[in-house]
Amino acid sequence: MRRHPNDGVLRRLVDDPAGVTDADREHIESCPTCGEGLVDARRDAAFAALTLSAPADPDIDAAWNRLRVTEPNRKAHRVRARLRSPIIAGAAVAVLLAGAGAAAAADWFPIFRTERIAPVTVHQADLMRLPDLSSWGDVEITSRPEIHAVAGLAAAEKESGLDVPGVAELPRGVTGEAQYQAGKRISAQFTFRAAKVAAFARGTGRAAPPMPAGLDGSSFRLTAGPGAAAVWSSNQGVPSLIVARAVAPTAYSTGVPFTTARDYLLSLSGLPADVAGQLRSFTADGTTLPLHVMPEEMTSRPTEVGGAPATLLTSSDGALSAVLWVRDGVVTAVAGSLSADEVLSVARGLR
Amino acid sequence: MDSALAHGRKDGVALTRSPRAVRPDLEQVFRTSYPRVVAVAARVLGSRDEAEDVAQEVFLTFGRSDVPAGEALPWLSVAAAHTALNHLRTGKRRTGREQAARPEATAVPDVADAVVASEERRRVRAALARLPRKQAIALVLRHSGLSYAEVAAALDLSPGSVGTTVRRAESALRKELNA
Repeated sequence: MRRHPNDGVLRRLVDDPAGVTDADREHIESCPTCGEGLVDARRDAAFAALTLSAPADPDIDAAWNRLRVTEPNRKAHRVRARLRSPIIAGAAVAVLLAGAGAAAAADWFPIFRTERIAPVTVHQADLMRLPDLSSWGDVEITSRPEIHAVAGLAAAEKESGLDVPGVAELPRGVTGEAQYQAGKRISAQFTFRAAKVAAFARGTGRAAPPMPAGLDGSSFRLTAGPGAAAVWSSNQGVPSLIVARAVAPTAYSTGVPFTTARDYLLSLSGLPADVAGQLRSFTADGTTLPLHVMPEEMTSRPTEVGGAPATLLTSSDGALSAVLWVRDGVVTAVAGSLSADEVLSVARGLR
Repeated sequence: MDSALAHGRKDGVALTRSPRAVRPDLEQVFRTSYPRVVAVAARVLGSRDEAEDVAQEVFLTFGRSDVPAGEALPWLSVAAAHTALNHLRTGKRRTGREQAARPEATAVPDVADAVVASEERRRVRAALARLPRKQAIALVLRHSGLSYAEVAAALDLSPGSVGTTVRRAESALRKELNA
Protein backbone atom coordinates (compact mmCIF):
# COMPACT_ATOMS: atom_id res chain seq x y z
CA MET A 1 0.00 0.00 0.00
CA ARG A 2 1.39 3.40 -0.87
CA ARG A 3 2.27 5.80 1.94
CA HIS A 4 -0.45 7.83 3.66
CA PRO A 5 -1.11 11.29 2.27
CA ASN A 6 -0.27 13.99 4.82
CA ASP A 7 -2.72 15.96 6.97
CA GLY A 8 -2.75 18.79 4.46
CA VAL A 9 -4.14 16.50 1.76
CA LEU A 10 -6.83 15.22 4.14
CA ARG A 11 -7.74 18.79 4.98
CA ARG A 12 -7.97 19.75 1.34
CA LEU A 13 -10.31 16.86 0.67
CA VAL A 14 -12.73 18.48 3.14
CA ASP A 15 -13.37 21.62 1.11
CA ASP A 16 -11.49 21.35 -2.19
CA PRO A 17 -11.57 17.73 -3.37
CA ALA A 18 -10.69 18.80 -6.91
CA GLY A 19 -7.27 19.80 -5.57
CA VAL A 20 -6.51 16.25 -4.39
CA THR A 21 -5.02 13.73 -6.81
CA ASP A 22 -7.03 10.63 -7.77
CA ALA A 23 -4.35 8.38 -6.28
CA ASP A 24 -4.55 10.15 -2.91
CA ARG A 25 -8.33 10.09 -2.94
CA GLU A 26 -8.45 6.37 -3.69
CA HIS A 27 -5.97 5.69 -0.93
CA ILE A 28 -7.94 7.69 1.61
CA GLU A 29 -11.20 5.95 0.66
CA SER A 30 -9.73 2.52 1.28
CA CYS A 31 -7.44 3.27 4.24
CA PRO A 32 -9.00 3.12 7.74
CA THR A 33 -6.20 5.29 9.24
CA CYS A 34 -6.70 8.02 6.68
CA GLY A 35 -10.46 7.62 7.04
CA GLU A 36 -10.16 8.51 10.71
CA GLY A 37 -7.85 11.39 9.89
CA LEU A 38 -10.43 12.70 7.44
CA VAL A 39 -13.18 12.55 10.07
CA ASP A 40 -10.95 14.54 12.46
CA ALA A 41 -10.14 17.07 9.77
CA ARG A 42 -13.85 17.50 8.95
CA ARG A 43 -14.75 17.94 12.61
CA ASP A 44 -12.01 20.55 13.23
CA ALA A 45 -12.84 22.43 10.03
CA ALA A 46 -16.52 22.56 10.99
CA PHE A 47 -15.62 23.72 14.49
CA ALA A 48 -13.40 26.49 13.10
CA ALA A 49 -16.10 27.57 10.64
CA LEU A 50 -18.59 27.88 13.49
CA THR A 51 -16.13 29.60 15.81
CA LEU A 52 -15.03 32.13 13.21
CA SER A 53 -18.48 33.01 11.97
CA ALA A 54 -19.34 36.63 12.62
CA PRO A 55 -22.13 38.91 11.49
CA ALA A 56 -20.99 41.30 8.78
CA ASP A 57 -23.63 43.14 6.78
CA PRO A 58 -22.12 46.60 6.50
CA ASP A 59 -23.83 49.68 5.09
CA ILE A 60 -21.67 50.27 2.03
CA ASP A 61 -22.82 53.83 1.34
CA ALA A 62 -22.13 54.93 4.91
CA ALA A 63 -18.77 53.20 4.84
CA TRP A 64 -17.81 54.85 1.56
CA ASN A 65 -18.70 58.28 2.92
CA ARG A 66 -16.59 57.61 5.98
CA LEU A 67 -13.61 56.65 3.82
CA ARG A 68 -13.92 59.82 1.75
CA VAL A 69 -13.92 61.98 4.86
CA THR A 70 -10.95 60.18 6.41
CA GLU A 71 -8.68 60.05 3.39
CA PRO A 72 -7.22 63.58 3.48
CA ASN A 73 -6.43 63.40 7.21
CA ARG A 74 -5.15 59.91 7.29
CA LYS A 75 -1.38 59.97 7.20
CA ALA A 76 -0.67 62.50 9.87
CA HIS A 77 -3.18 60.83 12.16
CA ARG A 78 -1.69 57.36 11.88
CA VAL A 79 1.85 58.52 12.36
CA ARG A 80 0.92 60.51 15.43
CA ALA A 81 -0.94 57.55 16.86
CA ARG A 82 2.00 55.26 16.38
CA LEU A 83 4.62 57.67 17.65
CA ARG A 84 2.56 58.24 20.72
CA SER A 85 1.85 54.63 21.53
CA PRO A 86 5.11 53.60 23.27
CA ILE A 87 4.93 56.67 25.46
CA ILE A 88 1.33 55.99 26.38
CA ALA A 89 2.09 52.33 27.01
CA GLY A 90 4.93 53.35 29.30
CA ALA A 91 2.76 55.76 31.20
CA ALA A 92 0.05 53.13 31.45
CA VAL A 93 2.46 50.71 33.07
CA ALA A 94 3.57 53.36 35.51
CA VAL A 95 -0.06 53.96 36.38
CA LEU A 96 -0.69 50.25 36.64
CA LEU A 97 2.27 49.71 38.88
CA ALA A 98 2.34 52.80 40.94
CA GLY A 99 -1.08 54.45 40.95
CA ALA A 100 -1.48 58.02 39.89
CA GLY A 101 -1.71 61.71 40.81
CA ALA A 102 -0.17 65.03 41.82
CA ALA A 103 1.86 65.55 44.97
CA ALA A 104 -0.29 68.34 46.26
CA ALA A 105 -0.92 67.36 49.85
CA ALA A 106 1.78 66.99 52.45
CA ASP A 107 0.86 63.42 53.31
CA TRP A 108 1.83 62.10 49.88
CA PHE A 109 5.09 60.22 49.94
CA PRO A 110 7.07 59.84 46.76
CA ILE A 111 7.24 56.12 46.02
CA PHE A 112 8.43 56.15 42.46
CA ARG A 113 10.55 58.52 40.42
CA THR A 114 11.82 57.80 36.94
CA GLU A 115 15.56 57.69 36.69
CA ARG A 116 15.73 55.27 33.81
CA ILE A 117 13.52 53.46 31.33
CA ALA A 118 13.68 49.74 30.63
CA PRO A 119 11.80 47.90 27.90
CA VAL A 120 9.63 44.99 28.98
CA THR A 121 8.58 42.54 26.32
CA VAL A 122 4.87 41.83 26.46
CA HIS A 123 3.15 39.90 23.71
CA GLN A 124 -0.03 41.28 22.18
CA ALA A 125 -2.01 38.32 23.43
CA ASP A 126 -0.96 39.01 27.01
CA LEU A 127 -1.63 42.72 26.75
CA MET A 128 -5.02 41.88 25.36
CA ARG A 129 -5.88 39.99 28.49
CA LEU A 130 -4.81 42.83 30.74
CA PRO A 131 -7.88 44.44 32.28
CA ASP A 132 -8.27 48.19 32.70
CA LEU A 133 -7.07 49.66 35.94
CA SER A 134 -10.64 50.79 36.55
CA SER A 135 -11.57 47.13 37.09
CA TRP A 136 -9.84 47.30 40.46
CA GLY A 137 -10.54 50.79 41.71
CA ASP A 138 -11.35 54.39 40.86
CA VAL A 139 -9.24 56.22 38.32
CA GLU A 140 -9.49 59.98 38.20
CA ILE A 141 -7.48 62.19 35.90
CA THR A 142 -7.06 65.33 37.95
CA SER A 143 -5.27 67.42 35.36
CA ARG A 144 -4.82 66.90 31.65
CA PRO A 145 -1.80 67.77 29.52
CA GLU A 146 -3.75 69.88 27.01
CA ILE A 147 -0.99 69.70 24.43
CA HIS A 148 -1.18 72.75 22.17
CA ALA A 149 0.84 74.62 19.57
CA VAL A 150 2.88 77.56 20.79
CA ALA A 151 4.44 80.44 18.90
CA GLY A 152 8.05 79.32 19.04
CA LEU A 153 10.96 77.93 20.99
CA ALA A 154 10.89 80.62 23.67
CA ALA A 155 7.18 80.08 24.35
CA ALA A 156 7.65 76.28 24.50
CA GLU A 157 10.47 76.63 27.01
CA LYS A 158 8.59 79.19 29.07
CA GLU A 159 5.43 77.08 29.32
CA SER A 160 7.22 73.85 30.13
CA GLY A 161 10.03 75.27 32.21
CA LEU A 162 12.39 72.97 30.29
CA ASP A 163 15.21 73.58 27.85
CA VAL A 164 14.13 72.32 24.46
CA PRO A 165 17.29 71.00 22.81
CA GLY A 166 18.34 72.17 19.37
CA VAL A 167 19.08 69.75 16.52
CA ALA A 168 22.63 70.13 15.20
CA GLU A 169 21.95 68.67 11.80
CA LEU A 170 18.61 67.60 10.36
CA PRO A 171 18.53 64.14 8.76
CA ARG A 172 18.14 63.93 5.03
CA GLY A 173 14.52 64.40 4.01
CA VAL A 174 13.64 66.53 7.06
CA THR A 175 13.41 70.16 6.07
CA GLY A 176 11.89 73.47 7.08
CA GLU A 177 11.30 75.11 10.43
CA ALA A 178 10.13 73.25 13.49
CA GLN A 179 6.70 73.88 14.97
CA TYR A 180 6.65 73.92 18.75
CA GLN A 181 4.15 72.39 21.15
CA ALA A 182 3.82 72.47 24.89
CA GLY A 183 1.79 70.44 27.35
CA LYS A 184 0.93 70.83 31.01
CA ARG A 185 1.50 68.36 33.75
CA ILE A 186 -0.81 65.35 33.70
CA SER A 187 -1.85 63.98 37.02
CA ALA A 188 -4.12 61.15 37.90
CA GLN A 189 -5.19 59.32 40.99
CA PHE A 190 -5.99 55.67 41.53
CA THR A 191 -7.83 54.37 44.59
CA PHE A 192 -7.99 50.63 45.31
CA ARG A 193 -11.54 49.36 45.88
CA ALA A 194 -11.85 45.89 47.36
CA ALA A 195 -15.47 45.71 46.16
CA LYS A 196 -14.43 46.32 42.55
CA VAL A 197 -11.66 43.75 42.78
CA ALA A 198 -14.16 41.21 44.11
CA ALA A 199 -16.70 42.02 41.38
CA PHE A 200 -14.00 41.73 38.73
CA ALA A 201 -12.91 38.37 40.12
CA ARG A 202 -16.50 37.11 40.07
CA GLY A 203 -16.74 38.15 36.42
CA THR A 204 -13.65 36.19 35.47
CA GLY A 205 -14.57 33.17 37.56
CA ARG A 206 -11.27 33.30 39.43
CA ALA A 207 -10.88 34.04 43.10
CA ALA A 208 -9.10 37.34 43.75
CA PRO A 209 -5.93 37.03 45.78
CA PRO A 210 -6.45 38.36 49.32
CA MET A 211 -5.95 42.11 49.50
CA PRO A 212 -3.07 43.19 51.75
CA ALA A 213 -4.13 45.07 54.87
CA GLY A 214 -4.59 48.79 54.38
CA LEU A 215 -4.80 48.64 50.59
CA ASP A 216 -8.58 49.02 50.26
CA GLY A 217 -9.30 52.73 49.82
CA SER A 218 -5.63 53.69 49.62
CA SER A 219 -4.73 56.09 46.86
CA PHE A 220 -1.81 56.51 44.53
CA ARG A 221 -0.94 59.48 42.40
CA LEU A 222 1.08 59.75 39.25
CA THR A 223 2.33 62.90 37.64
CA ALA A 224 4.18 63.41 34.40
CA GLY A 225 5.05 66.58 32.53
CA PRO A 226 4.99 69.40 31.79
CA GLY A 227 6.67 68.93 28.46
CA ALA A 228 7.50 70.52 25.14
CA ALA A 229 8.28 69.31 21.65
CA ALA A 230 9.74 70.50 18.39
CA VAL A 231 7.98 68.91 15.42
CA TRP A 232 9.15 68.90 11.83
CA SER A 233 6.40 68.12 9.36
CA SER A 234 7.03 66.71 5.94
CA ASN A 235 5.34 68.18 2.90
CA GLN A 236 2.47 65.70 3.44
CA GLY A 237 1.73 67.01 6.90
CA VAL A 238 3.41 63.97 8.48
CA PRO A 239 5.75 64.65 11.39
CA SER A 240 9.06 63.44 10.05
CA LEU A 241 10.98 64.28 13.22
CA ILE A 242 9.93 65.00 16.80
CA VAL A 243 12.24 66.06 19.59
CA ALA A 244 10.31 66.00 22.85
CA ARG A 245 11.21 66.52 26.45
CA ALA A 246 9.08 66.16 29.57
CA VAL A 247 9.36 65.84 33.30
CA ALA A 248 9.43 62.06 33.80
CA PRO A 249 6.65 60.21 35.65
CA THR A 250 6.67 60.21 39.43
CA ALA A 251 4.29 58.36 41.75
CA TYR A 252 3.16 59.06 45.27
CA SER A 253 1.29 57.12 47.92
CA THR A 254 -0.47 57.97 51.13
CA GLY A 255 1.59 55.39 52.97
CA VAL A 256 1.19 52.02 51.34
CA PRO A 257 4.62 50.89 50.19
CA PHE A 258 5.17 50.78 46.46
CA THR A 259 6.11 47.09 46.49
CA THR A 260 2.86 46.12 48.24
CA ALA A 261 0.70 47.86 45.65
CA ARG A 262 2.82 46.65 42.76
CA ASP A 263 2.85 43.01 43.81
CA TYR A 264 -0.89 43.01 44.41
CA LEU A 265 -1.57 44.57 41.00
CA LEU A 266 0.70 42.05 39.34
CA SER A 267 -1.08 39.18 41.09
CA LEU A 268 -4.44 40.51 39.82
CA SER A 269 -3.27 41.25 36.32
CA GLY A 270 -3.14 37.69 35.02
CA LEU A 271 0.13 38.52 33.26
CA PRO A 272 2.34 35.49 32.63
CA ALA A 273 4.88 34.78 35.37
CA ASP A 274 7.85 35.80 33.22
CA VAL A 275 6.36 39.21 32.40
CA ALA A 276 5.36 39.79 36.02
CA GLY A 277 8.88 38.76 37.04
CA GLN A 278 10.42 41.24 34.61
CA LEU A 279 8.20 44.02 35.89
CA ARG A 280 8.95 43.13 39.49
CA SER A 281 12.70 43.12 39.04
CA PHE A 282 12.78 46.24 36.87
CA THR A 283 10.75 48.22 39.33
CA ALA A 284 12.44 46.84 42.44
CA ASP A 285 14.27 50.09 43.10
CA GLY A 286 11.29 52.37 42.38
CA THR A 287 13.25 54.32 39.79
CA THR A 288 12.93 52.32 36.56
CA LEU A 289 9.95 53.02 34.33
CA PRO A 290 9.02 49.90 32.35
CA LEU A 291 8.16 50.53 28.73
CA HIS A 292 5.88 47.98 27.05
CA VAL A 293 7.40 46.67 23.89
CA MET A 294 5.18 44.41 21.81
CA PRO A 295 7.53 42.19 19.83
CA GLU A 296 4.88 41.94 17.10
CA GLU A 297 5.18 45.66 16.42
CA MET A 298 8.46 46.86 17.74
CA THR A 299 11.95 45.82 18.65
CA SER A 300 13.99 47.50 21.34
CA ARG A 301 17.66 47.54 22.16
CA PRO A 302 19.72 49.34 24.75
CA THR A 303 22.00 52.12 23.66
CA GLU A 304 23.37 55.31 25.16
CA VAL A 305 22.99 58.98 24.47
CA GLY A 306 25.57 61.37 25.89
CA GLY A 307 26.53 58.86 28.58
CA ALA A 308 22.95 58.15 29.71
CA PRO A 309 21.49 54.66 29.15
CA ALA A 310 18.84 54.90 26.44
CA THR A 311 16.27 52.65 24.77
CA LEU A 312 16.08 52.50 21.02
CA LEU A 313 12.76 51.37 19.52
CA THR A 314 12.25 50.43 15.90
CA SER A 315 8.93 49.44 14.36
CA SER A 316 8.95 45.97 12.82
CA ASP A 317 8.61 47.43 9.34
CA GLY A 318 11.60 49.66 10.00
CA ALA A 319 9.67 52.80 9.12
CA LEU A 320 9.57 54.41 12.56
CA SER A 321 12.32 54.76 15.14
CA ALA A 322 12.51 56.40 18.53
CA VAL A 323 15.12 56.74 21.22
CA LEU A 324 14.31 57.69 24.83
CA TRP A 325 16.49 58.43 27.80
CA VAL A 326 16.17 60.00 31.24
CA ARG A 327 18.50 62.47 32.86
CA ASP A 328 17.88 64.34 36.11
CA GLY A 329 14.22 63.33 36.14
CA VAL A 330 13.60 64.59 32.62
CA VAL A 331 12.79 62.22 29.76
CA THR A 332 13.87 63.14 26.25
CA ALA A 333 12.69 61.39 23.11
CA VAL A 334 13.72 61.70 19.50
CA ALA A 335 11.37 59.94 17.11
CA GLY A 336 10.36 60.04 13.50
CA SER A 337 9.85 58.32 10.20
CA LEU A 338 13.58 57.73 10.20
CA SER A 339 16.03 54.87 10.53
CA ALA A 340 17.49 53.88 13.90
CA ASP A 341 20.83 55.40 12.90
CA GLU A 342 19.17 58.67 11.97
CA VAL A 343 17.33 59.12 15.28
CA LEU A 344 20.47 58.18 17.21
CA SER A 345 22.51 60.64 15.23
CA VAL A 346 19.97 63.41 15.97
CA ALA A 347 19.83 62.41 19.66
CA ARG A 348 23.59 62.42 20.10
CA GLY A 349 23.94 65.72 18.29
CA LEU A 350 21.36 67.63 20.41
CA ARG A 351 22.62 70.91 21.75
CA MET B 1 0.61 38.91 -5.83
CA ASP B 2 3.84 38.76 -3.94
CA SER B 3 5.14 42.03 -5.25
CA ALA B 4 1.77 43.63 -4.66
CA LEU B 5 1.80 42.43 -1.08
CA ALA B 6 5.33 43.54 -0.50
CA HIS B 7 4.37 46.91 -1.78
CA GLY B 8 1.29 46.93 0.41
CA ARG B 9 3.31 46.30 3.54
CA LYS B 10 5.60 49.17 2.73
CA ASP B 11 2.74 51.48 1.93
CA GLY B 12 0.71 50.17 4.86
CA VAL B 13 2.90 51.93 7.36
CA ALA B 14 1.71 55.23 5.93
CA LEU B 15 5.15 56.70 5.87
CA THR B 16 6.17 56.67 2.24
CA ARG B 17 7.84 59.95 1.61
CA SER B 18 6.42 60.53 -1.85
CA PRO B 19 2.68 61.14 -1.87
CA ARG B 20 0.68 59.00 -4.25
CA ALA B 21 -2.62 60.12 -5.67
CA VAL B 22 -5.74 58.19 -4.68
CA ARG B 23 -6.40 55.61 -7.39
CA PRO B 24 -9.36 56.34 -9.66
CA ASP B 25 -10.90 52.88 -9.35
CA LEU B 26 -11.07 53.06 -5.53
CA GLU B 27 -14.83 53.57 -5.31
CA GLN B 28 -15.60 50.72 -7.68
CA VAL B 29 -13.31 48.30 -5.85
CA PHE B 30 -14.63 49.54 -2.52
CA ARG B 31 -18.27 48.94 -3.41
CA THR B 32 -17.66 45.43 -4.73
CA SER B 33 -15.17 44.26 -2.07
CA TYR B 34 -16.05 46.08 1.15
CA PRO B 35 -18.46 43.46 2.61
CA ARG B 36 -15.95 40.65 1.96
CA VAL B 37 -13.12 42.63 3.55
CA VAL B 38 -15.27 43.39 6.60
CA ALA B 39 -16.12 39.68 6.82
CA VAL B 40 -12.43 38.72 6.91
CA ALA B 41 -11.72 41.15 9.75
CA ALA B 42 -14.91 40.12 11.59
CA ARG B 43 -13.74 36.49 11.64
CA VAL B 44 -10.71 37.63 13.61
CA LEU B 45 -12.34 40.29 15.77
CA GLY B 46 -15.82 38.91 16.28
CA SER B 47 -17.27 42.40 16.06
CA ARG B 48 -18.66 44.13 13.00
CA ASP B 49 -17.81 47.62 14.21
CA GLU B 50 -14.19 46.78 14.84
CA ALA B 51 -14.05 44.90 11.55
CA GLU B 52 -15.30 48.01 9.76
CA ASP B 53 -12.53 50.07 11.37
CA VAL B 54 -10.01 47.60 10.02
CA ALA B 55 -11.60 47.57 6.57
CA GLN B 56 -11.42 51.37 6.45
CA GLU B 57 -7.76 51.29 7.30
CA VAL B 58 -7.07 48.66 4.67
CA PHE B 59 -8.93 50.57 1.94
CA LEU B 60 -7.06 53.76 2.79
CA THR B 61 -3.80 51.93 2.15
CA PHE B 62 -5.18 50.28 -0.95
CA GLY B 63 -6.32 53.65 -2.28
CA ARG B 64 -2.73 54.82 -2.48
CA SER B 65 -1.30 51.57 -3.77
CA ASP B 66 -0.81 50.37 -7.32
CA VAL B 67 -2.10 46.86 -6.69
CA PRO B 68 -3.70 45.71 -9.98
CA ALA B 69 -7.50 45.82 -9.78
CA GLY B 70 -7.65 42.13 -10.70
CA GLU B 71 -5.70 41.24 -7.55
CA ALA B 72 -7.55 43.64 -5.30
CA LEU B 73 -9.74 41.19 -3.40
CA PRO B 74 -7.01 38.74 -2.31
CA TRP B 75 -4.72 41.67 -1.50
CA LEU B 76 -7.39 43.38 0.58
CA SER B 77 -8.28 40.13 2.34
CA VAL B 78 -4.69 39.45 3.36
CA ALA B 79 -4.24 43.03 4.53
CA ALA B 80 -7.51 42.82 6.51
CA ALA B 81 -6.43 39.59 8.21
CA HIS B 82 -3.04 41.03 9.17
CA THR B 83 -4.48 44.33 10.34
CA ALA B 84 -7.25 42.65 12.34
CA LEU B 85 -4.74 40.41 14.11
CA ASN B 86 -2.73 43.53 14.91
CA HIS B 87 -5.89 45.13 16.28
CA LEU B 88 -6.69 42.32 18.66
CA ARG B 89 -5.25 44.18 21.59
CA THR B 90 -6.71 47.63 21.06
CA GLY B 91 -9.97 46.08 19.95
CA LYS B 92 -10.59 44.66 23.39
CA ARG B 93 -11.40 47.97 24.97
CA ARG B 94 -13.60 49.16 22.18
CA THR B 95 -15.66 46.01 22.29
CA GLY B 96 -16.19 46.41 25.98
CA ARG B 97 -17.43 49.94 25.55
CA GLU B 98 -19.65 49.11 22.62
CA GLN B 99 -21.23 46.18 24.31
CA ALA B 100 -22.09 48.40 27.22
CA ALA B 101 -23.65 51.01 24.96
CA ARG B 102 -25.25 48.96 22.23
CA PRO B 103 -29.01 48.52 22.45
CA GLU B 104 -29.11 44.95 21.09
CA ALA B 105 -26.73 43.85 23.82
CA THR B 106 -29.16 45.00 26.48
CA ALA B 107 -32.04 43.46 24.56
CA VAL B 108 -30.59 39.99 24.93
CA PRO B 109 -33.23 38.30 27.08
CA ASP B 110 -30.82 36.34 29.20
CA VAL B 111 -27.92 38.29 30.62
CA ALA B 112 -26.08 35.04 31.30
CA ASP B 113 -26.21 34.21 27.59
CA ALA B 114 -24.70 37.60 26.75
CA VAL B 115 -21.92 37.08 29.24
CA VAL B 116 -21.20 33.63 27.86
CA ALA B 117 -21.19 34.94 24.28
CA SER B 118 -18.84 37.74 25.17
CA GLU B 119 -16.54 35.41 27.05
CA GLU B 120 -16.58 33.05 24.08
CA ARG B 121 -15.56 35.85 21.71
CA ARG B 122 -12.76 36.82 24.04
CA ARG B 123 -11.48 33.26 24.14
CA VAL B 124 -11.59 32.91 20.36
CA ARG B 125 -9.66 36.16 19.95
CA ALA B 126 -7.08 35.11 22.52
CA ALA B 127 -6.70 31.73 20.80
CA LEU B 128 -6.23 33.40 17.41
CA ALA B 129 -3.67 35.78 18.88
CA ARG B 130 -1.69 32.84 20.21
CA LEU B 131 -1.52 30.98 16.88
CA PRO B 132 1.61 31.47 14.79
CA ARG B 133 0.84 34.38 12.46
CA LYS B 134 1.06 32.29 9.30
CA GLN B 135 -1.41 29.73 10.65
CA ALA B 136 -3.83 32.41 11.81
CA ILE B 137 -3.78 34.16 8.43
CA ALA B 138 -4.15 30.92 6.47
CA LEU B 139 -7.06 29.87 8.69
CA VAL B 140 -8.92 33.14 8.38
CA LEU B 141 -8.34 33.49 4.64
CA ARG B 142 -9.43 29.96 3.81
CA HIS B 143 -12.57 30.36 5.91
CA SER B 144 -13.18 33.66 4.11
CA GLY B 145 -13.30 31.85 0.79
CA LEU B 146 -9.85 32.48 -0.66
CA SER B 147 -8.68 29.55 -2.77
CA TYR B 148 -5.73 27.37 -1.76
CA ALA B 149 -3.70 29.02 -4.53
CA GLU B 150 -4.58 32.51 -3.29
CA VAL B 151 -3.70 31.64 0.31
CA ALA B 152 -0.43 30.11 -0.90
CA ALA B 153 0.48 33.25 -2.85
CA ALA B 154 -0.45 35.51 0.06
CA LEU B 155 1.73 33.66 2.54
CA ASP B 156 4.52 32.65 0.19
CA LEU B 157 3.72 28.99 0.85
CA SER B 158 3.72 26.12 -1.62
CA PRO B 159 0.09 25.28 -2.54
CA GLY B 160 0.65 21.82 -1.04
CA SER B 161 1.46 23.16 2.40
CA VAL B 162 -1.61 25.41 2.72
CA GLY B 163 -3.76 22.42 3.73
CA THR B 164 -1.22 21.44 6.40
CA THR B 165 -1.04 24.97 7.76
CA VAL B 166 -4.85 25.34 7.90
CA ARG B 167 -5.19 21.87 9.44
CA ARG B 168 -2.72 22.72 12.21
CA ALA B 169 -4.49 25.97 12.95
CA GLU B 170 -7.89 24.28 13.14
CA SER B 171 -6.58 21.53 15.36
CA ALA B 172 -4.93 24.04 17.70
CA LEU B 173 -8.06 26.18 17.80
CA ARG B 174 -10.33 23.27 18.72
CA LYS B 175 -7.95 21.94 21.35
CA GLU B 176 -7.54 25.35 22.92
CA LEU B 177 -11.22 26.26 22.96
CA ASN B 178 -12.48 22.86 24.03
CA ALA B 179 -9.97 22.64 26.84
